[in-house]
Amino acid sequence: MGNSYLAVKSIFDTLGISVVIPPLNSKKSLDIGCQFSPEEICLPFKLMMGNLIEGIEKGADTVIMVGSCGPCRLGQYCELQMKTLGNLGYNVDFIVIDSPAEIGKKEFMSRIVRISSQSQKKKKEKLLALRNGYKIINLIEEIETKAKYLNGYEVNKGECLNIIKECKLDSIKCTNSKDMIKVLEGYMKKLKELNIDKQKNPLKIAVIGEIYTIIEPFSNINIEEKLMKQGVSIIRKITPRWWIKDTLLKPFKMNSMDINKAAKKYIPYSIGGFSKECIGESVLASQNKCDGAIQIFPMGCMPEIVSKSILPTVSRDLNFPIMSLIMDEITGEAGYITRIEAFLDLLERRHKNVLYGN
Amino acid sequence: MKIGIPKGLLYCRYHNFIETFFLELGAEIVTSEDTNKKILDEGVKCCIDEACLPIKVFHGHVSSIKNECDAIFIPRIMQLYDKEYICPKFCGLPEMIKNDIPNMPQISSYPIYAWDHKAMYKWAKNTGNLITRNNIKIDKALKSALTVQKNSSYRFNDKKYPYTIALVGHPYNIYDSFVNMNLIKKLNELNIGVITENDVDSSNINLQIKNLYKRPFWTFTRNSFGFSTFLAKQNKVNGIIYISSFGCGTDSITVELIKYEIKDLPFLLLKIDEQTGEAGLNTRIEAFKDMLERRIKIESYFPSYG
Repeated sequence: MGNSYLAVKSIFDTLGISVVIPPLNSKKSLDIGCQFSPEEICLPFKLMMGNLIEGIEKGADTVIMVGSCGPCRLGQYCELQMKTLGNLGYNVDFIVIDSPAEIGKKEFMSRIVRISSQSQKKKKEKLLALRNGYKIINLIEEIETKAKYLNGYEVNKGECLNIIKECKLDSIKCTNSKDMIKVLEGYMKKLKELNIDKQKNPLKIAVIGEIYTIIEPFSNINIEEKLMKQGVSIIRKITPRWWIKDTLLKPFKMNSMDINKAAKKYIPYSIGGFSKECIGESVLASQNKCDGAIQIFPMGCMPEIVSKSILPTVSRDLNFPIMSLIMDEITGEAGYITRIEAFLDLLERRHKNVLYGN
Repeated sequence: MKIGIPKGLLYCRYHNFIETFFLELGAEIVTSEDTNKKILDEGVKCCIDEACLPIKVFHGHVSSIKNECDAIFIPRIMQLYDKEYICPKFCGLPEMIKNDIPNMPQISSYPIYAWDHKAMYKWAKNTGNLITRNNIKIDKALKSALTVQKNSSYRFNDKKYPYTIALVGHPYNIYDSFVNMNLIKKLNELNIGVITENDVDSSNINLQIKNLYKRPFWTFTRNSFGFSTFLAKQNKVNGIIYISSFGCGTDSITVELIKYEIKDLPFLLLKIDEQTGEAGLNTRIEAFKDMLERRIKIESYFPSYG
C-alpha cells in the first residue's frame, strides 16, 4: 500500500522478524486477486488478495491485517480473506489489528504480544524500532509531497519524478532502519538543492478520494506520475502518515479538524470511509488556490458514491472544477488518459483567462 | 403542514412507525405511490449512476412527491442496533438527495439511532418541532408510534407448499414487489413457499454469528447470514434464494460468507437492477425449481457427485 510497506519492512527488519514483500502490484497480482475474490467487491480487496497469495507463495506464514468497525467494507476484509485462503489450502496465521473498543483491551494486547513475541530483542529496542519506522514514514512522505509540489516549478524537467523513483529503489535495498533513514535524508538534501524557478505558475491539482486507490499507484494507473509528466504540481493530503495520525486522534475528536470544519456545510455527519475527508479536501483545495481536483475511487465504494453526489454542488458553489475517476479491474489506460488530458486542457484555459482577463 | 413520506428503502419495515408518529402530531402525510416504472425512471434520471437500485428508487419516490408537500421526511438511519450500521449510503442519504434533486422542499433528516432511547427522543423532538412546539404531544406520539411498530408483523402467508425456500436479502428488495418483479408470487405459483427472516426468532440468528471470526457490523449482513445458516443447519428448507441489488457493497461480502457456510444446500443469487425485463428471472427460478424437484425425487437429497 503506497510507500508504507517501506516503514513496516524496516520495523520488522530491526525487530529481527523476517518479512516477505510480495512483488509490487502488477497485472498478474490483479489477475490472481480477481480469480479468488467475489465479483462485486471493491478493487483494494482484489489487489490485496493477489498480494497475499503472492506473498504466501514466497514463504510468508503469518498475515497481519488492519481491521476497522466503520460502515466501510475494509473491516470485513479479514474474515473473507481467512476463509478464502483456508479454502485454497494455504495454512497461514492471521493477526488482525482491530480497535481495542471492539475486541476488548485484553484481546488487543494479546494480539500485539503475538507479533512482538516473535522478536528476541529487548523492549527498548522494540520501541526504538517503532520510532524509527515512524521516522521513515515521515521522511519518505515529506520527500514525496515536496517533490510532487515542486514538480511544477522545476527547471530541468523530470528531476522530481526521478528523485521519487530512485529514492524508492535505494531504500528498499536497506536491511535496517538506520541505513534507510540515512538514504532518505540524502534524498531530502537532494530535493532541497533542486533547481527551481519560482516565477513559474504551474497548474495545481488536488488528488482526493478513497485512500487505497490514491496512494497505491498501480490501482490508479499511476495517475500522479502521468500528471507530473505534464508539469503539474500535485497536492495530496491523504497519506499513510495522515491515516496513522487520524486514527490515533479520533477518540479525542482532534483528528484533522480543518478538513472536518471545511466539510461540515456539505456533509454534517461522518458516514465512514473517506467521504467526509474527500469533501473537506475539495473545499480546502479551492481555498488554497488549487486549479482543480481529481477524485479517485474504486468502483462500488459505498462512501465515495455519497461524496460523488455531493461534489457537483461543491464544484458549483466554489466555481472549482472537479473530475471523478472510477477504478476497476480494467487496465486499459487510453480512456483515462484522454479524460485527464481534457481536464488539464480545461484547467489551463481557465488559468490563462484569469491571468489575462480574456 | 404536509409531510412527504417516500415509500422507498426501509419504509416497508417501519411505515407503521413513521405514519403513526406524524399523524399523532397532527400533520397531514403525503406518501408516494408504490414503486412503478415512472418512479424508477425518475430515480435513475436524478441519481448518480454508481448508486445501487434501492437508492435510485428512493430518489424516484422523493422526486415524485417533492412538489406536493411542505417538508419531506428522509430518514438518516445511522444505526438500528448498537454498534451496527446499515450502509454508508444510508448515513449520507439526505446529502445525496439534497444534491441530486433540484428544488427540494425542507428536509427532515436528523440522525436516527433506533436502539438508543435518548437518541430516539432527541430525534422525535427535532423532527416533531417541524410541526408542533408541544413537547408532551411529541413524547406521546413517539410512544404510541413505538408501540405500533412493536406490534406489527411482517410475515408472509403461512399457506403450505410442497417446497419451501428461504428468501434472503435486504427488506426493501424483498417487500417491494415491483423491484423484485413479483418474485414471491412467482415462487408461490411454482408451488414454492417462502420463509423470510421475520419467521425465525432473532436469538437463533444471533447465535449463528458466533461462528464468525469477527462480528459483522452491518445489520443486514448479520440477519442474512444468521438466518440462512441457521435454516441450513436445521435442514428446514429446500434451498435459499438471495435477492441482491447490483453493486451492493455489503452483499458482496454477505453472499460469500453464506456460501462458505451452507455447503451443499442449493443457493440461487438473483441480482436486480434498473432493467425490467422479466424473462431472465423467470427462467432462473424455473430452473432452480427443477433442480429442487430432482434433488428430492431422483437423488433423494444426495448431491449428484456423492
